Amino acid sequence: MSARIGTALLLGWLLLVFVFIFSPIVASVVFSFNSDRFPTIPLGSFTTHWYDTIFADAEIGEAARNSIIVSLTTSVIATTLGFATAYTDYRYNFRLKGPYLALILLPPTIPLIIMALAMLAWLSWIGASGQLWSIIVAHSVLTAPFAMAIIRLRLNQIDPNLEAAAWNLGSSEWKALRSVILPFCRPAIVSAACLTAAVSFDEFAVAWFVSGLNKTVPVIVLEIVQGNIDPQVNAIGSLVFLTSITLVVLAQLFFISRIGRS
Amino acid sequence: MQVRARAVNRFALAFRLPVIVWQGLFFLGPLFFMIAMSFFLVKNYRMEEAFELKNWARMLTRGYVWDSYWYTFGVAGLATLAATLIAFPAAFALAFRVSEAVRRWAIFLLIIPFFTSYLVRTFSWYVILAESGVINAGFGTVGLGPYTLLNTPIGTVVGYLTLTLPLVVILQTVALANIDRNLVQAARNLGCPPRRTLFAVIVPLAKAGLIIAALFCFILSFGDFVAPYYLGGSKPPTLPILIIDTTKSGQQWPRAAVVAVMMMLTLFAIAATSIWLAYRRRSSA
Amino acid sequence: MTEPLVTLSGVVKRFGDFTAVHRLDLEIGAGEFMAIMGPSGCGKTTTLRMIAGLDVPTEGEVRIGGRLMNEVPVHERDTPMVWQSLALFPFLNARENVEFGLRMRGVGAHERRRRAVEWLERLEIGAFAERNIDTLSGGQRQRVALARSLVTEPQILLLDEPLSALDAHLVIRMQGVLTRLQRELGITFVYVTHSQSEAFAMADRIAIMSEGRIEQIGQPREIYRTPASRFVAEFVGRNNILSGTSRGDAIETALGTFPTAGLPATGAPATLVVAADLVRIGRTPSDGAVPCTLISEEFVGATVTLFLEAVDGTELKVQIPERTLGELNAHAGGSFYLSWPADAGHVLAES
Repeated sequence: MSARIGTALLLGWLLLVFVFIFSPIVASVVFSFNSDRFPTIPLGSFTTHWYDTIFADAEIGEAARNSIIVSLTTSVIATTLGFATAYTDYRYNFRLKGPYLALILLPPTIPLIIMALAMLAWLSWIGASGQLWSIIVAHSVLTAPFAMAIIRLRLNQIDPNLEAAAWNLGSSEWKALRSVILPFCRPAIVSAACLTAAVSFDEFAVAWFVSGLNKTVPVIVLEIVQGNIDPQVNAIGSLVFLTSITLVVLAQLFFISRIGRS
Repeated sequence: MQVRARAVNRFALAFRLPVIVWQGLFFLGPLFFMIAMSFFLVKNYRMEEAFELKNWARMLTRGYVWDSYWYTFGVAGLATLAATLIAFPAAFALAFRVSEAVRRWAIFLLIIPFFTSYLVRTFSWYVILAESGVINAGFGTVGLGPYTLLNTPIGTVVGYLTLTLPLVVILQTVALANIDRNLVQAARNLGCPPRRTLFAVIVPLAKAGLIIAALFCFILSFGDFVAPYYLGGSKPPTLPILIIDTTKSGQQWPRAAVVAVMMMLTLFAIAATSIWLAYRRRSSA
Repeated sequence: MTEPLVTLSGVVKRFGDFTAVHRLDLEIGAGEFMAIMGPSGCGKTTTLRMIAGLDVPTEGEVRIGGRLMNEVPVHERDTPMVWQSLALFPFLNARENVEFGLRMRGVGAHERRRRAVEWLERLEIGAFAERNIDTLSGGQRQRVALARSLVTEPQILLLDEPLSALDAHLVIRMQGVLTRLQRELGITFVYVTHSQSEAFAMADRIAIMSEGRIEQIGQPREIYRTPASRFVAEFVGRNNILSGTSRGDAIETALGTFPTAGLPATGAPATLVVAADLVRIGRTPSDGAVPCTLISEEFVGATVTLFLEAVDGTELKVQIPERTLGELNAHAGGSFYLSWPADAGHVLAES
């Protein structure tokens, strides 16, 4: 009897934790359709006003364009770096492999604000800050480890003889890479591309420091929030959420469906 | 798998070199430059290469820097403790009280917050916690409040938890779910009552995962500037806010670098201690 | 043996401090079915991988058709292999797997398809051509792997324990398929296995390896009846091994003195091997018979192996047909007498 009460308490607590985690997300979506400038209970009337204003805002449009360019380019570079490292780790052993892997895996353990300062200082020093591709360069370093992890997990599932079997049947190393390793990793590569794009699309600290005048959407949000209370933020947030979650769901679908097949 | 023990060939280098060059240029480069920069000088608003200890001497002797340091350390520590204690029953429920399918769905749901803007979520909390916000409106209907929640350490911790709680729950759940159930049953079989298995068997077995989850929580909290700035009111500023103020307003990049290096050394020490705590007495598995 | 197709001379393979293969010499004839057999870790798979070019010899030469292969990359060798794990490509269907080698050689799509389907039909799995690999049974996958390796019409096929994952009844069927194919195609098969029954059922010649060295090469019957070393005698089949001293025309052992041909000079140490199926067992004592106690029995099909113990603790084995077991009235603890004709004993060349 007490065991059942214990279970009920645990599940109740679990529910509360989920409420805490999801209430700000739900609230921002709700507030984005709420007419009050400063939402409280009871809620005001339904409106799409905040969406209308952001779609009419040229600066936000420009930022959206920048964000898309940055996240797409970042995802290509980060996925390429991630694949190269994952494949090297899978296939080779060499003396400095530890440091080599650390080089790509360590960035997420360093606080973003420190990476932001370091990137800003270094890129200005070599005369490369304030450009869109300054953000791209920084984001590719920040997101490559995620791509590496996903693709490495996929390579864990490969029969280690598969590539050798391709050589044995007449493939050169490059041909085997293209006809065996890449097709095998395709679901993971697509997942990695989606996830790195999503992370880049949301990142604001480093982007804020190195972007100069080329602001991305999160940087605009940061600036709006600094100024005052403006439900436009909720509208932008809801749209960004929709974009990111689409990418994540796509990534999941590609990865999970493919794992089921093999 | 190393198939051919030949000298490194062009194929292998094609995967290694670009990564080394790119990460060297855009990861190691910035980090080492930042460390070097902490010894540079600023003259007439321009940074000059130098090797002077002036920035370090200045920052380490200022009371406000140390106030900020210990405050940041304290709130991040508080958030870590809070996250660990709040997450544990939830993770325990997910690991031992629900089906495999529910667990997988829950973890999927917990990943979602990583892809929603942390800024927007913080802004939501700002609106929810404000004196005229949703929570105080709720208290008002039963004749309580309003309470000041914003611009207090409570606000900061709420913000930190928003950032870290999903990750902590996930890591703890994985750690607990990976426990060999036979060991729990063996303990019961040896006469350990259900209540005691928690601290006698489950926590020791999941120890490494629990510590690593706490470590991630501390690293994320320690380095976050959004929560302490918007929800904590920047009173006093935390180290990340100090970095931003010093960088953005005063062009004092070298001084900001000093703060950044202090943070990195702190995190390095914390991480080393945590990993030692997590994995000592374990063979090199 | 006709002229050798594959020649390994003085081949050594080291992995770091570990020597997998020690100065190995081996010639494999064109059209020959050669089995390389030994316990795990004996270097048999490494030897096969060196023929395929998947491992490069540390020392020595590998030649195929007279050509020095040491520096020839894997993909330029045309030495297809059937892998223990099969290594079928999971993202390709059965036909596409078979086509793979042809695609790598730049054969046109139409021709590729025709030849792949032809091979799938030849191996009686034409109906599964468009199926995903993970929907095929173990036996069907085995055939896809075979077709994939043979479609390029190689001179040599390498097989690395290909039947180890199959159920017992499928193993027998696949053995039939493999021997038939090898005879029809007339190409060289090099077959690595730890299974004595597979090697003895299919191979023209067998090389027995132990700890990186070849212990004996010969026809199955030779290996079985006249093992060259104690290792081979112990590894192959049920042999009784008795150590003793030569008395010229007889060997003196702890169990008695047995007349035997082929012994070294009187006084020299010698080892006598008697195959379990040549030992006679009876319930009554006779001249020179060894008294024993029955310990246990092992049934494999129609044959029974009896394990007995002599007075001094030496273990002896006897193989008899199952149907004779009744007449013998054998039960554990019973007393028996073992004997064998003088020409059943084989003296090991080494001492």
